[in-house]
Amino acid sequence: MQTLLNECRAVFSARALVWVLTRREVAARHAGTAVGILWPYLQPLLTVAAYYLVFDIVFSMRLQDGGVPHAVGTFLVVGALPWMAFCDAVSRGMNSLIEAGGMLQKNPLPPVLFTTRAVLASCVIYGPILALVALAYTPLHGFKLPVVGLLPLMAGQLLLSVLLGYLLAILAAALRDTVQIVGFLLSVGIYLTPILFPLSMFPEAWRWVLWLNPMTALVIGYQQVLLQGAWPPAAVWMVLGVWLAVLALALNVVVRRSRDQLVDWL
Amino acid sequence: MKTTAQPQAGSAGANAGASQAAGLDLNETVLKVSQVSKEYKLYPSPRARLRALVTGKATHRSHWALRDVSFELRRGQCIGVVGDNGAGKSSLLKLLAGTLQPSTGTIERVGRVTAILELGAGFHPDFSGRDNLYFGGSLIGIDHDEMARLEPEIIEFCELGEALDRPVKTYSSGMAVRLAFALVTAVQPDVLIIDEALAVGDQHFQKKCIERIMAFRNNGCTILFCSHSPYHIRHLCDAAIWLKAGHVEQFGDTEPVLAAYDLHTRERQAKEQQALEAAQQPVAAPAAGETPFAQDAEVDPAVAADPPQPVAAVDGGAACLLSVEVKDLGEPEGSQPAVLHSMDLVVTITARGRGDERPHIGFMIEQSKGVGITSLATHEDGAVPRQLPDGTWQSVLTFPDLPLHSGDYVISAFLFDETGLAVYDEWFQFKHFRFIFPKPLPGLVRLPHHWA
Repeated sequence: MQTLLNECRAVFSARALVWVLTRREVAARHAGTAVGILWPYLQPLLTVAAYYLVFDIVFSMRLQDGGVPHAVGTFLVVGALPWMAFCDAVSRGMNSLIEAGGMLQKNPLPPVLFTTRAVLASCVIYGPILALVALAYTPLHGFKLPVVGLLPLMAGQLLLSVLLGYLLAILAAALRDTVQIVGFLLSVGIYLTPILFPLSMFPEAWRWVLWLNPMTALVIGYQQVLLQGAWPPAAVWMVLGVWLAVLALALNVVVRRSRDQLVDWL
Repeated sequence: MKTTAQPQAGSAGANAGASQAAGLDLNETVLKVSQVSKEYKLYPSPRARLRALVTGKATHRSHWALRDVSFELRRGQCIGVVGDNGAGKSSLLKLLAGTLQPSTGTIERVGRVTAILELGAGFHPDFSGRDNLYFGGSLIGIDHDEMARLEPEIIEFCELGEALDRPVKTYSSGMAVRLAFALVTAVQPDVLIIDEALAVGDQHFQKKCIERIMAFRNNGCTILFCSHSPYHIRHLCDAAIWLKAGHVEQFGDTEPVLAAYDLHTRERQAKEQQALEAAQQPVAAPAAGETPFAQDAEVDPAVAADPPQPVAAVDGGAACLLSVEVKDLGEPEGSQPAVLHSMDLVVTITARGRGDERPHIGFMIEQSKGVGITSLATHEDGAVPRQLPDGTWQSVLTFPDLPLHSGDYVISAFLFDETGLAVYDEWFQFKHFRFIFPKPLPGLVRLPHHWA
């Protein structure tokens, strides 16, 4: 794990630069638009609002999850918003090294800074939106103690996105096809996560497939906390822990193998 | 037979007194490269690259761009790096700058290392020059507060004025380069790495760049300079490294290293020329010994490289050479070069200067095919061009009783700035001529001598 620790140290010692890079990435997304900084926030907010309007106001659909009834739109938003954040962070993280190729070839900077900034830029946008949604769900969770569980869930998702984003970024540097394959997986992934339907509605024989998706545990966690104000089951934390450990190990190996040639591939 | 012994242009000793940094330990090692090798792993396809990454199996061919390179630079030294294309110069500079990691070996650096590798890369076109300045500064370790302090000086140096608040996409390439140069050299580094960057911008800015680099050098900054121009290396550097196929072929005083490299280059060119000729006319074989010029028969030296179009003497534009005239030179006949009808070589070089500055003029004579004979410059000889009534500058260079043997020669003319560092203009190998020495003795030059 020495290699990965060195990467962490590099990020920590350049934290001021990472913050500058992050702010610039957010600013670059809306450079030249009239609404400016609001755009990156408006898009996910409008999507969430559309779900709520269509499913809960227009159609008034309900569903049952283990005996607990939910409004479909309300249920959908809790899973879809973290999923959107995950897709955004992972795909930006994956492209971060290829995009920063020119800069990395001219400046003696650790590549990991650019993946970190891409994921952080995503976090800066989705983090506040998720907090806002949590606030809007007060009638459901009533600010019971388990609501603090939201913080480790979000931290876990951030860590998961950084690890996965960096791993995919290195693989994408080696083989550009990675970007296409992962793009496809992210677009079908929403059906392999208990976002549209609760886990209990999936056929029992196929439920294990869902656990292969790193977001399943997190989404279940968010649903427990925000919809019922209950602690997420222990399985959520365990599966999340296993995913983080596996990704960290894989990343450690890949970083070590690519360290002295990564910039040449960009 | 009289011969004037002229000093070779730009001896290494000319720079000896330059690096007198006050209060800095000149013996301190600022850069130590030990046993550095750089391997590029070449995979047959990107798929193999991914497979190697996932499985850890080696399926690559190795290309060693550098092998076991070791050297040390002390504070205030200025080192020139020469070598053929592909000898590993760029890899070495990138390793020293830190953008590449060595495969084996270590590089120890002391203090701030600034690299001028490719200027203007990394600017975001949609943001203003000022915004890019602050961002670029944070990339090279200048934080916001320090940049606020340095900003006025940078703006003054790059002369962008109001354009600084416009998006960089509206800049000309020259403006972007000026901003980038002003940014990276805003803070005096301990080691400065320059890759052919002296050829940026217009003459005015080029001169400013050189002045700033010279100021760094005088303040004790170590400079590593990679250039294809032996002239600049001779003038700026007090040591040189010759890289050949990834290893250090020679490292030492500028003059011997450059001389050895020059010999190598000429040998290589001669080999290439032979190979080319062999390929073109396999049975040509000119009758050797028939005439003294037989060897030159296949090429056409007379019509090589026309001088640039003449320019008006007094339009306020850039400094340039206006004319180079050789006295008593006949007309070229067919493919034969013009014959010099005099025992003296008298060359009149006229140039337009820049503003009030007094330029310097250089001259070089070489064999048409073969070695250089001598190069001369007014600033090296303590001479000055004289100003004509119309504002142009003129030097008349005379070689009395030209001490050469019969043969074909080619001349080049150069125009320098006041300090002799910036090359404003050059007419390189622009005129060939034939000189006939009446005595049929073999040889190249007639050296000063006496018989006793």
